[in-house]
Amino acid sequence: MKNNQAIAEQTQNTKIDWDKIKSKVAYLQEALSGNDVVSHEDKHKILKIRAKSLSLQKTEYDSNQENINIIEFLLGTESYAFETEFVREVCLLNNFTPLPGLPDFVLGIINIRGQILSIVDINKLLNLPVKGLGELNKIIVIHNAKMEFGILADSILGTRSISINSIQTSYTSMPGTGAEYLKGVTSGHIIILDAAKILNDEKIIIRQDI
Amino acid sequence: MDKKEEAFLKQLQATFKVEAEEHINILSSGLIELEKNPKDKNSFKLIETIFREAHSLKGAARSVSRNDIESICQVLESIFSKLKNELISFTAEHFDILHKAIDTISKMVSGTATKNKNDNMDLIKQLQSITMEEQVIKIHEKQTESLKKTFKTVEPAVEETISSRVEAEASLSSHNESAHDNTVKELLPQMDTVRIQTAKLDPLFLQAEQMIQSKIAAVQRTVELKNIYDFVGSWKAELRKLENRHSINSTLQLKEIINWTNEKLEETEKNIFILKRSIENDARSLGRMIDDQLESMKNVLMLPISTIIEVFPRLVRDIARSQGKEVELIIHGKEIEVDKRILEELKDPLIHLVRNCIDHGINKPEERLKINKPAHGTISLIFTVLDGRNLEISISDDGAGINIDKIISLAVKTGVISKDNIENLTTQESYELIYKSGITTSPIITDISGRGLGLAIVREKVEKLGGKVSVESQPNIGTTFRLFLPLTLSTFRGVLVKTGEHFFFVPTVNVERVLRINSAEIKTVENRETILIDKEVMGIVKLSEVLGLNSNNFALSSKNGNTTPSSNFIQIIIITLGNKRICFKVDEIFDEHQILVKELGRQLLRVRNISGTTVLGSGKVVPVLNISDLMKSAVNSISSSRIIENVKQPEIKYYKVLVIDDSITARTLIKNILETAGYDVVTAVDGVDAYTKALVGEFDLIVSDVDMPRMNGFELTAKIRKDKRLSELPVVLVTALESSDDREHGIDVGANAYIVKSSFDQSNLLEVIKKLL
Repeated sequence: MKNNQAIAEQTQNTKIDWDKIKSKVAYLQEALSGNDVVSHEDKHKILKIRAKSLSLQKTEYDSNQENINIIEFLLGTESYAFETEFVREVCLLNNFTPLPGLPDFVLGIINIRGQILSIVDINKLLNLPVKGLGELNKIIVIHNAKMEFGILADSILGTRSISINSIQTSYTSMPGTGAEYLKGVTSGHIIILDAAKILNDEKIIIRQDI
Repeated sequence: MDKKEEAFLKQLQATFKVEAEEHINILSSGLIELEKNPKDKNSFKLIETIFREAHSLKGAARSVSRNDIESICQVLESIFSKLKNELISFTAEHFDILHKAIDTISKMVSGTATKNKNDNMDLIKQLQSITMEEQVIKIHEKQTESLKKTFKTVEPAVEETISSRVEAEASLSSHNESAHDNTVKELLPQMDTVRIQTAKLDPLFLQAEQMIQSKIAAVQRTVELKNIYDFVGSWKAELRKLENRHSINSTLQLKEIINWTNEKLEETEKNIFILKRSIENDARSLGRMIDDQLESMKNVLMLPISTIIEVFPRLVRDIARSQGKEVELIIHGKEIEVDKRILEELKDPLIHLVRNCIDHGINKPEERLKINKPAHGTISLIFTVLDGRNLEISISDDGAGINIDKIISLAVKTGVISKDNIENLTTQESYELIYKSGITTSPIITDISGRGLGLAIVREKVEKLGGKVSVESQPNIGTTFRLFLPLTLSTFRGVLVKTGEHFFFVPTVNVERVLRINSAEIKTVENRETILIDKEVMGIVKLSEVLGLNSNNFALSSKNGNTTPSSNFIQIIIITLGNKRICFKVDEIFDEHQILVKELGRQLLRVRNISGTTVLGSGKVVPVLNISDLMKSAVNSISSSRIIENVKQPEIKYYKVLVIDDSITARTLIKNILETAGYDVVTAVDGVDAYTKALVGEFDLIVSDVDMPRMNGFELTAKIRKDKRLSELPVVLVTALESSDDREHGIDVGANAYIVKSSFDQSNLLEVIKKLL
């Protein structure tokens, strides 16, 4: 950043300040050679400041009211969330194996540390129109006592606590026909999915007879 | 002989103990739940469960001659039956008595009960008083009500009962807050349990403990590796510094640097060498530990055959007696240990085969004496281990043997084969006919056998386990069924194949051979590709087509389509199941692997053509094909393509029938009967399921069981009659209930026919259906 500013300053000045450039180049060379330009303590400070700004709760949090923890993720351009109590883990989708003859909302199966899990394409399950091409390379593993599978997501935005009051359960128009799986929308336009309902839904269980 | 019987009885009692403990657990947790929520909407189901448990426990007690337990259960059963019919309701005191009764049974089972007969009599009296008392209370209440009206006085005795009720209710509500809230609910559904000798578990635990060592070692190695990495990092940085700060101009300086670097290098090499050695050691010990663990785990899953055949002697005696036959059962090799998963699947087929022996094989004593045979027949059940890996089971009787002519004529009658084909049948081929559903030689249809379905199911189960069934028979000498099965399922071998971009494992047991043939050898017969293998013309099907991969991955297969024609060779894998063989064309055949089959996760309970999956060393997940499904899919894909080709086929109207039964066997049974008769069958598991299916399915007829969870047959029938769209749909009720009340109830709700299972035979069912359609 400093670097860019320095260069910007340079371009504004018509006269070239060679000394400044030289010191800059020396600085960069030092940094590139692997020597610590920023001291250990400074690094620590910077990281702490960043952590603090990241940990700041957003507006929907209200310490006086009942809150729920959610994990927020992107599908296309929209933000969705599950309650964290249903989320076992989040992992990267590197590789999956499709199985023949499955409905299109089941992407296939993956291997997580020796355990085989099926992957559900929530877009298809919710009948959502696909907006934009996502990467769809993250898996959110949701579970309850009886059921467990992965949900495909574009990227994970993080976890946070929101007040129950900020969730609006009556909404006039939701895209797609999967409205039954939606719990509500927050004032910040995060669509909260009803993980319990998805997990308990008989329709998602595959039982094919020959 | 005495000793033998004594030992047998002992073992039976041990089994009973385990079984009884399970019943007791469910009983007591059920009672607790019931006490807590007496007016819950689920309480009916709960009472039903408790009632059944008491009934099963009674039956189990009777079979090991524990009259003391049986008599208590008898009373319990009648109490719960009354409760079920809402003739009585329980107070807290009653629950106490019931719990006491269950505790007593539990003590009796474990052998810690006092052997005082009077105690038991007292208990039974107390229990009986529950039903008596309640009736008295009800009468009293009625009386008081009328008394109140007329004299406006209250009898002190009645006041007492009422106040005790209030108390009871109060204590009930306080029970609601009791601690075991969740645990009870989770206990109630019956769990799948297995009994394992502790001796087998001890090594497992020790091995698991040893693995902690490996865990610690792994952490240690990462620390060591990180140290080396950091060391190299700082070395690199120092080296850079040297290069930057001094322009190296003297050889002396250069030499210094080289020496210094060499030192560092040597130190690094030494550290890496030590680390390498430790990791090699770790890998060795971890490998050994895992192998040991797997071996012990397999051992845990190996159970003696006796665990499933303990019931057989009794079963044989009972069936033989009821038919007026004398039968001796000889069992050999019941100590052989077999994989639990195989044993579980084997029990029903074995029971079926033994029943068959008594029912069809062995004649009545007088008939046997006529042909100079001893009056009592002999059935032998012999288990032997072949080449250490396979199990052979032979079930033989010295009865009348299979009457081949009769089978052939029956097969012609039921349309399994055509008359023209009879002459070409070999002996073995005609024996094959007995496995076809719908063929039975028994003139009388009893509740034990004669429906002509059993052998079809036996064969399917055995083949699913990767086994084979064969039969030999000689008139008047006897019949022998032989089952060949693997001893264990855990060491599973599969052949890796590839079609398009998809990899699959084919279980090695089902692979007859793999071959590469020149595409010139393929001849087209009736629009189908065929090849000549061992002088036999075999049709070829594409694995990708059978699995339905082509439509999904059109882009991929078209890409492949460009490359395949250039190669002159075609990869063929011949897959067998029983005596069926099918040639599958694949893109590539790789080597054989030892694989560990895993399930597909909780969401995918059953996926057509796929039995499970395995993970390759590379981490890649490869599905394992379900051969039994695959063979059917292959046949379907062949016949479906044929139907399109042959327009000559006569147009038959296929009636669509919905079959509803909560028992899978009954469902399969009825489904098979109807399908054999040419009906199009869809199944449902209970009334609710059936009703939703009926609404969309456009069925011509419904065949329903009566006793089902969620919505029973009566309720379903009533609901259908009320529904405008379905009211005309014929309904046949098939039931185990044989009271005239029920029959009337059936007619009341609007059923068209009512068939009782004990008098159930397929021609009867088919006739009824024919009449209704």
